[in-house]
Amino acid sequence: MISLRIFASSGVPVYLQIEQQIKQCVASGLLLAGDALPSTRRLAGDLRVNPNTVARAFQNLERDGIIRTVPGGGTYVAEDSGGGTGLLKAEKMRRLRPLATQLAVEAFQLRLGADEVHKLLDAAVQELGRGVRGKGGSRSDGEGKDQ
Amino acid sequence: MTAHAIETEALEKTYGLGRKKVRAVDGLSLHVPEGSIYGLLGRNSAGKTTTIRMAVGLARPTAGTIRVFGLDPARDPERVMVLSQVGYVPEDKAQAALTARALLQLNREFYRDTWSDDLARKAIRRLELPLDTTFLKLSLGNKTKSALVSAIAQRSRLLILDEPTTGLDPIALDELLRLLVEDCTLEGRTIFLSSHQLTEIERIADYVGIMDRGRILLEGRLDDIRASFRRMTVMGEALPAGDVRVLTSRRVGHATEMVVQREPEEFAAELGRGGATVVTSTPLSLNEIFIELCRNAEAKDDRIRPADFV
Repeated sequence: MISLRIFASSGVPVYLQIEQQIKQCVASGLLLAGDALPSTRRLAGDLRVNPNTVARAFQNLERDGIIRTVPGGGTYVAEDSGGGTGLLKAEKMRRLRPLATQLAVEAFQLRLGADEVHKLLDAAVQELGRGVRGKGGSRSDGEGKDQ
Repeated sequence: MTAHAIETEALEKTYGLGRKKVRAVDGLSLHVPEGSIYGLLGRNSAGKTTTIRMAVGLARPTAGTIRVFGLDPARDPERVMVLSQVGYVPEDKAQAALTARALLQLNREFYRDTWSDDLARKAIRRLELPLDTTFLKLSLGNKTKSALVSAIAQRSRLLILDEPTTGLDPIALDELLRLLVEDCTLEGRTIFLSSHQLTEIERIADYVGIMDRGRILLEGRLDDIRASFRRMTVMGEALPAGDVRVLTSRRVGHATEMVVQREPEEFAAELGRGGATVVTSTPLSLNEIFIELCRNAEAKDDRIRPADFV
């Protein structure tokens, strides 16, 4: 079972919070391809959020190729969900740009140079790479397995 | 086009006679989509309860229209059809029966077509409602619970809750939110609730209307509202004055702090092209949006009509 945390008062739309956290679960290997996700109503009940909001998040995740819905048969993490493969590169870049801007601004305010920022980013990408490789080998570590 | 569970047009309700007239609802236009959880938000005496009372036929509009599933709750054959499809928890939780058990039995008889014993049992268990304590001895929270259980078990097409969180402890409140989300929106059913407890509403509502002194200040899908509001700190000369997208604006040190209520990205881009720098841009919580809107509306009115008593 995945565990999501919603901060309703953060000002960030709740459907975006759900989308981002599920993407993160998939990217970090906490959710694996083929894992079942709870139904929208069940997840809405667990999170105490509106079912339509969960449905909106699931629709967007499906459009992005992260999950797939079997009509009448539940929702699963898609087989090839790692990189949002269905998206054009330009679209992927467009989505990341605000995050890059934010990183640049924070770095500027902390008087960090471009080199240091690049190092940080490389380390983060490597860290994530280890997690994703680790999940491919064995599924017996229990982590992220659906209960 | 979406069908509306509740729709009002230029709705007005005036109480009192002669010179002491109070305009509780003042040209209200409200659209509650079917299948939504709609939160009607407002300060004390904003007109929320008056609006709800008109929706269930307990008050008659002075002017304008209100329709529930297209029916007029103030006209008599239609009123019965409205009431058969509506579960209602009033603000004043006074009871028509001696105990919760008696109240549930009464409602079970009344709404025999839609009533669910299973759902009643589930709600009683989740909310931990004492069934056989007389109402005289029940706490406010337990009175609220018994009204809620009986309205929930009724499985109405439309559930109207007037301040449903009154007196509930945090655990009961959490269980109520789960019941509403899991069991009260099935089959396209609608929940219309009024509150000034914004944090709870913010979680479960997908539509909100913000009401102040009888009028609607803002209505729409909550996620869209969240996405269109930003608090920005801007540095630079010649900032635009009177742009409709700017709700409030004030000087803070060397910068200007603005609350933008529409198209924040486009607005920030325009500022950038004009030579200004947007230093920070942060989203607002529903609570902040509510306060900004109400304060702004009240400040505007004060400018137009100076207070009589000062």
